[in-house]
Amino acid sequence: MAKNRFFPTLKSNGGMLVTLAVFILLPFIVGLFDGASPAQVWINGSGQSKFIQGLAIEIFILALYALSYDLIFGFTGLLSFGHSMFFAVGAYGTGILLKNFGFSLPATFGVIFLAGILQALLFGMVLPRVKGITFALVTLGMASVFHVLVISSELGPYTGSDVGLQGVVPPEFISPASQRLRLYFVTLAVLILVFMLYKRFVNSPTGRVCTAIRENEGRALMLGYNTFYFKLAALALSSLTAALAGMLHTIYQPIVSPNVAGLGYTVTALLIILIGGVGTLNGALVGAVVFRLLDYGLRRYIGESASFINGAVYVAIVLFLPFGIVGTWRLKSAQVKQGWERLAKLFGSR
Amino acid sequence: METILDVQDIHTFIGQYHILQGVSVRAPKGSITALLGRNGAGKTTTLKSILGLTPPRQGKVVFDGREINGMRSFDIASLGIGFVPEHRAIFRDLSVEENLKIAERQKGDYVRKQEFIFSLFPDLKRLIRLPGTHLSGGQQQMLAIARALVADNQLLLIDEPSEGLAPVLIEQLMEAIKQLSAETSVVLVEQNFLVASKLAEYYVIIEEGRSVKQGNMKDLADDKATIHRYLGAA
Amino acid sequence: MSIFLRKNFTRLIVLAVLAALFVAAAGGMESSDFVITLLRGLSVGSLTFLVASGFSLIFGLLDVLNLAHGTLFMIGAYIGWTVYVRPDTFVDLLTPLFLIFSGFMLGDVWAVIGTRGLFAGGMKRILPWAGMLVSALILVGVLRSYPVSIWNPEDYAQSPVSISYLAGLGQNLLPPPAAFESISPLLAFAGLLLGSLLLAFSLALFAAGKQGLVSRLNWCSFAGFGAFLLAGILFFVFNDALTNFLASLNTNWLFLIAVSVAVATGVGLGALMETTLIRPLYIRPIYQLMLTLGLSAIGIEMVRAIWGRPEFTMPRPAFFAGTGEGCPATSLADWWQYHCSTMILLDGRIRIYNEIFVPIIGLTVLIGVWILLQRSRLGMVIRAGVQDREMVEALGINVRRVFTLVFALGVGLAALGGVLAAPSIGLSNMMGESFLLNALIALAIGGLTSYPGAALGSLLVGLLQQFIIKYGQIGIPIPFADIIFKPTPPIVPASTILLMVVVLLILPNGLLGKKE
Repeated sequence: MAKNRFFPTLKSNGGMLVTLAVFILLPFIVGLFDGASPAQVWINGSGQSKFIQGLAIEIFILALYALSYDLIFGFTGLLSFGHSMFFAVGAYGTGILLKNFGFSLPATFGVIFLAGILQALLFGMVLPRVKGITFALVTLGMASVFHVLVISSELGPYTGSDVGLQGVVPPEFISPASQRLRLYFVTLAVLILVFMLYKRFVNSPTGRVCTAIRENEGRALMLGYNTFYFKLAALALSSLTAALAGMLHTIYQPIVSPNVAGLGYTVTALLIILIGGVGTLNGALVGAVVFRLLDYGLRRYIGESASFINGAVYVAIVLFLPFGIVGTWRLKSAQVKQGWERLAKLFGSR
Repeated sequence: METILDVQDIHTFIGQYHILQGVSVRAPKGSITALLGRNGAGKTTTLKSILGLTPPRQGKVVFDGREINGMRSFDIASLGIGFVPEHRAIFRDLSVEENLKIAERQKGDYVRKQEFIFSLFPDLKRLIRLPGTHLSGGQQQMLAIARALVADNQLLLIDEPSEGLAPVLIEQLMEAIKQLSAETSVVLVEQNFLVASKLAEYYVIIEEGRSVKQGNMKDLADDKATIHRYLGAA
Repeated sequence: MSIFLRKNFTRLIVLAVLAALFVAAAGGMESSDFVITLLRGLSVGSLTFLVASGFSLIFGLLDVLNLAHGTLFMIGAYIGWTVYVRPDTFVDLLTPLFLIFSGFMLGDVWAVIGTRGLFAGGMKRILPWAGMLVSALILVGVLRSYPVSIWNPEDYAQSPVSISYLAGLGQNLLPPPAAFESISPLLAFAGLLLGSLLLAFSLALFAAGKQGLVSRLNWCSFAGFGAFLLAGILFFVFNDALTNFLASLNTNWLFLIAVSVAVATGVGLGALMETTLIRPLYIRPIYQLMLTLGLSAIGIEMVRAIWGRPEFTMPRPAFFAGTGEGCPATSLADWWQYHCSTMILLDGRIRIYNEIFVPIIGLTVLIGVWILLQRSRLGMVIRAGVQDREMVEALGINVRRVFTLVFALGVGLAALGGVLAAPSIGLSNMMGESFLLNALIALAIGGLTSYPGAALGSLLVGLLQQFIIKYGQIGIPIPFADIIFKPTPPIVPASTILLMVVVLLILPNGLLGKKE
């Protein structure tokens, strides 16, 4: 029985499993190219592999963050301009608890969990009053107040005001310096777990109601769903995920810049899912990879005017990939497939 | 019998939904043609497809001997088609006079047509300065029809004129539509079969995106089976 | 009347509370401080309004949240500065620009060629790409060797900062004009023209098929093409004469020209943006956000590359710059006589340009656009279109053209705001973003698509910011405690945002917005 079910699962999730295998093997393969044996990579010898691991960790964190935004914006249709606050609360909370209060990691996680729920409730409080773009502006307002708190000099001893939060010592067993490979796998595992959870959520009855709310809230209301609770549920899950991403961010980065609380960081999430495709979970992952690599590549090879090319790439994506990478792929894949088949036939007939 | 509008087997998509799957309508010149059918059958979409607001993907629309499908909406309208949308969609932020003036296609249209419009709808004359928000439902409907009369239109597309109005008002409105149809051909969408049967000379029944039956209104009134089948109890 | 009261009860209470707050805030300071703060608030409010009104018109009619609006505001400022301080650069650039845009005047012709299906199948796919590539190569090649006398942000002595400083002292010397060296003028013109035609043609091919059929060929477009071509050549022939004329003008006239050029650039940029980039996206509104964000990033980087990162100020025109005899003025009549830069009003010293001139222009624009909206046919169509675009189109009105006009008008207003801001708050790479945020907040407070709302919201934002800044200097005594609270700089933007949140929670459609 178990065997019978195993193979279809394998087949339908083939693409995902291959991607997963690639990411598991990635540090070692990069190590091999760099002339380091897998054993060296295993014990965290410095080199190209370690650097690539770092970049991948950043991508995983961004992907988590983008996933959380996709859930409320792409699936539930709530345009929020205050999403960076979810992330920043996780990032700053972790840093302050670890550094100033000497909490252990599990305890910190518990507190961040609570904080995540609380801020979802805070955003949820205004839900019945404001809709659409007004909701976006109100959430922007709440996030800005948080941003001001973070950079205010009064809270400087905790947040490091406008310099940023520094000197957080992450627990030794997942330290980005000495145990980076482990941190890499932990982040990857978290991302996979969250991704699977999201997949379940989106396909669950609750998730479907969320999608219905995006399409037409009035109709969902008429069908007898109290849309408020569904939106709140999506907000809570999203907030928790973003806070978790923020927590990982603090563990990995030596410094938490106040920028992560600003509007710009929300725009980052928006851009990522627009690049990948709004309302597609894969899109958030693809978008995060493209976004980070583009940014990194341009900064490294072009330097100062990188954001010029970045902007041009966004414009090009909007014009030529009308529904993001994954969204457009889904629409066109049938056509592309047909094209390949025609091509194959052409060669076959010769 | 001359045909003013000839819709030939049009197919219209909204998003990925195939809404019209073959609608044909022939409207003779100088008469009233009613589009009948249940809610959601595709009557409003037919009107919008004629105007190019939801352009048909297949089929032909011929207006006054000229093929108009594929043209831009405002070009189609400029050829002489007036549209009275459902839900009495007048411009609420504009005054009654502005609502009429905005429909001018040539300078002076409004001044020229003023008298005719006020003879049809005497109420509007005294409301001329009021903003659209202050009008009652019936007045709004009259304004919406009057707006379509300002320019020199050869054809009026009227969507659900009697919807949500009191019987007295419906009478008044029917009278006006009858009067104006002497000069302008009319294609009318109407849920209320009684109203439609009194007004129109010809009918087209649309069912699930297809035109299934058309002919003379007099014949339909006697055909109880058809009425029952496509329009429910009449 | 009583119905009006009942319907607007909450709204009136909020307005009353705001008025009470204003009175309380006024009561807490000296009258001289109050006058200055009030005027500064009006000034910031006016600039915010110029951004907000255009943004709101565009959002109301087109449903486009133009996040590049702030960047266009900034570009207006930098263009104005260039015309004002470096007329030679401006004149040098006119010829290539006119030639490059001449091809776009033939838009209708290209659309007709594109839709007639002269090219079928693979050809149709490859042609636009090939055309764009070739035209880009030609344009870049020609422009690289095209002589333009320009500043150099890398070299401090020739950077905009120094030029601006010298111009402020009246010691701005224009360098000798640049001459054709590596390329003959005729070849350059031919190249620019060819590149322009190719570019416009291939862009039109992309858009062809996505839009409805063009029924008629509009011969006016040839006239436009000819006019642009002729203008480009005339500017080349009379280059030196025009430069000398501009350089010898007094600064008041030059400022006026700078303002008009900045506004014209804004209008042109707006029209170009709407027709080429925004138009294909009306069916995918979310992606407009990404597009405008991308454009905004591009705009900022271009400004950085051309004018450099450091901030600088545009010198004020002579009318507002006097310091000598009779200054500071004691009355407006005095100022008229001596053209003082400052004036004493109720013991406070105010800057005429910043605190009198800018609000007056803001008020003029407010009234002007209001009249346009209420009294003209275009205004009628705009007001109708905000409510129901489809119906306006069904009346036989070319809504597309109205969209383009409104977008151009909105961007033009932003550019006007930018060039007016240049002498008062200076030019910086960040000015666009901060004013865009201000405008968004102002609109949210006033009502997103309400024109009077934009004015009221901008006024409130300007006043609130300036009052908080002033209280940051003098401090607010907290009652029943011996603490004097001094708001810190980060509180300034936060206070307006907080006001926005409170207003939106009480009145979700803003102070003057209509219910959906």
